[in-house]
Amino acid sequence: MTAAPAITDVQAIVEQVWSSFLGEAEPLLPAPVAPGRAFPADDAWSAAVSISGGWDAAVTVELSTPLALSLTTTMLGLTADETAEGPLDADVADAVGELVNMIGGNIKSLMPGPSVLSLPAVAAGRAAHPSGAAEVARFDGVRAGQPVRVAVHVIPQP
Amino acid sequence: MTISTSSFQLIAALVRRETAMVYDSGKEYLVEARLTPLATAAGCPDVDAYIARISTDLAERRKALDALTINETSWFRDQTPYQAFTETMLPRLIETRAATRRLRIWSAACSSGQEAYSIAMLLDQHLPPGWTADILATDVSTAMLERVRAGRYSQVEMNRGLPATTLVKYFTRAGTEWEVSPELRRMVRVQHLNLADAYAFTAIGTYDVVLLRNVLIYFDQATKYDILRRMRPHVAPDGYLLLGSSETTLDMPADVAGLWSREQLGRVQAHRPVAAVPVASPTPIGA
Amino acid sequence: MRAMIIDDSRAMRSILRRILAGLDFETLEAGNGREALDLFEAGQVPDLCLVDWNMPLMDGYTFITEVRANRDWRDVTLMMVTTESEQGQIVKALAAGAHEYVIKPFTPDAIVDKLELLGLVNREVLA
Ligand SMILES: C[S@@+](CC[C@H](N)C(=O)[O-])C[C@H]1O[C@@H](n2cnc3c(N)ncnc32)[C@H](O)[C@@H]1O
Repeated sequence: MTAAPAITDVQAIVEQVWSSFLGEAEPLLPAPVAPGRAFPADDAWSAAVSISGGWDAAVTVELSTPLALSLTTTMLGLTADETAEGPLDADVADAVGELVNMIGGNIKSLMPGPSVLSLPAVAAGRAAHPSGAAEVARFDGVRAGQPVRVAVHVIPQP
Repeated sequence: MTISTSSFQLIAALVRRETAMVYDSGKEYLVEARLTPLATAAGCPDVDAYIARISTDLAERRKALDALTINETSWFRDQTPYQAFTETMLPRLIETRAATRRLRIWSAACSSGQEAYSIAMLLDQHLPPGWTADILATDVSTAMLERVRAGRYSQVEMNRGLPATTLVKYFTRAGTEWEVSPELRRMVRVQHLNLADAYAFTAIGTYDVVLLRNVLIYFDQATKYDILRRMRPHVAPDGYLLLGSSETTLDMPADVAGLWSREQLGRVQAHRPVAAVPVASPTPIGA
Repeated sequence: MRAMIIDDSRAMRSILRRILAGLDFETLEAGNGREALDLFEAGQVPDLCLVDWNMPLMDGYTFITEVRANRDWRDVTLMMVTTESEQGQIVKALAAGAHEYVIKPFTPDAIVDKLELLGLVNREVLA
């Protein structure tokens, strides 16, 4: 059995990150997607951090593009004027990267350590997982109808 | 989803009856925000339906009341009262309680317990060896009392006012939460108590320091004064009553004001019992 | 009061900048420990640093160690603001000379509470 964080803990972390920075006004609600079913948005952003040392894993966050844009606008405190054109891709990458950093760091602290957290890697599009990586925990949620997924993968030791 | 006027009045009356907390009109949005998640969880189509349901469903009513009591709190809230506790109250009490070597503290609207445990930490650091302390934590919300017993706090709660050195000294990680040390937990006793209940204090005993902070503001004048009146015998003659920072300036009617004197301790005001004096003796002694 | 915000995320720097601006701090920013040290060496020494842990080029832990090694900078208050949340990490940062530690995620109140603990902010005066 590979060590994995409890789903409820992953969910608690995601909710805390969410409500701290984005407020309670528009809550993030759990919206389970059946295992094996695709992430429910074509147009998405994704980010990953890896954890290595006492526990080796990758934490990924995927979110629909509208959600990534509203996250960026809120975190950067952009005004209506500044967002007329929509935030720059570099800004979205930065905000989504910070999101996965916060979630990943907190997940790391649940597991045996000491481990090191990598800097985030962000991409426009769905997350890619190395072959052989097994998903050990996942949280699917929606905010204002827009999906977000946080997943934890480990590469099983031979 | 908006709450109807009649539902709001119904729930406001219920909250007032059970906790004395006043929800004036204008607070509809608050009731709605706090009850909507419960309504959804209970399968009610809207908050009105949920409020109708709690008139008969007592378990659900308990949950609604818990959701509607305002539990905002933090570690060492406002700091100055805790500074005054360590610098003034504690040294004085240690002198006057040398015979019993025992201190009694009461956190009288304890919420999730940060107030009681903050005091426990200070006592752990400043109480001389051989002394014991009994900290009583009471609240009207049973959900909050459960939290005090569990002694577990989220990361977000831990960030609120707890010095990092204190965190590493008294807490350990438990999943996504932090758990207060067993030594501190042993110092804190938990009990259900409704401050607005006229008989609630009867068997409660006398305390050297009572923290009655950030709760009177939610009550109407009559309830506030009544609590301050009934509180008087439960504060030791040389003890202290600490109110919230916005509550110390409270104007009291003469009969209540006569029970308490205010003493400035550093940057906070403490209320202290005025020694009982006979009101107006009919004939001068020896006349 | 001058504060330096040291974090590789612009979004996070923006959040902290807005909180500090509300507390009447003047702010400077750096994207990593190396950049922050360069600013120090150029004479831009603030009263307070908010320091992330994981950053490229020089991490926050190393930065704190470097600042503490220089006696000229001993008056600078150092507060970690990071997602590193193991007890051991907090102990390690405090031992290296951090004065306070805030775990991400945080709410603005948490920053104010901690700055109040450090004696850099007084809510009563602000209110
Ligand atoms: C804002 S919190 C204050 C907590 C803490 N004393 C402080 O200052 O941070 C108010 C608390 O008062 C409690 N409360 C409200 N009405 C009450 C009543 N009638 N009797 C006892 N506690 C009550 C609430 O449940 C809540 O936990």
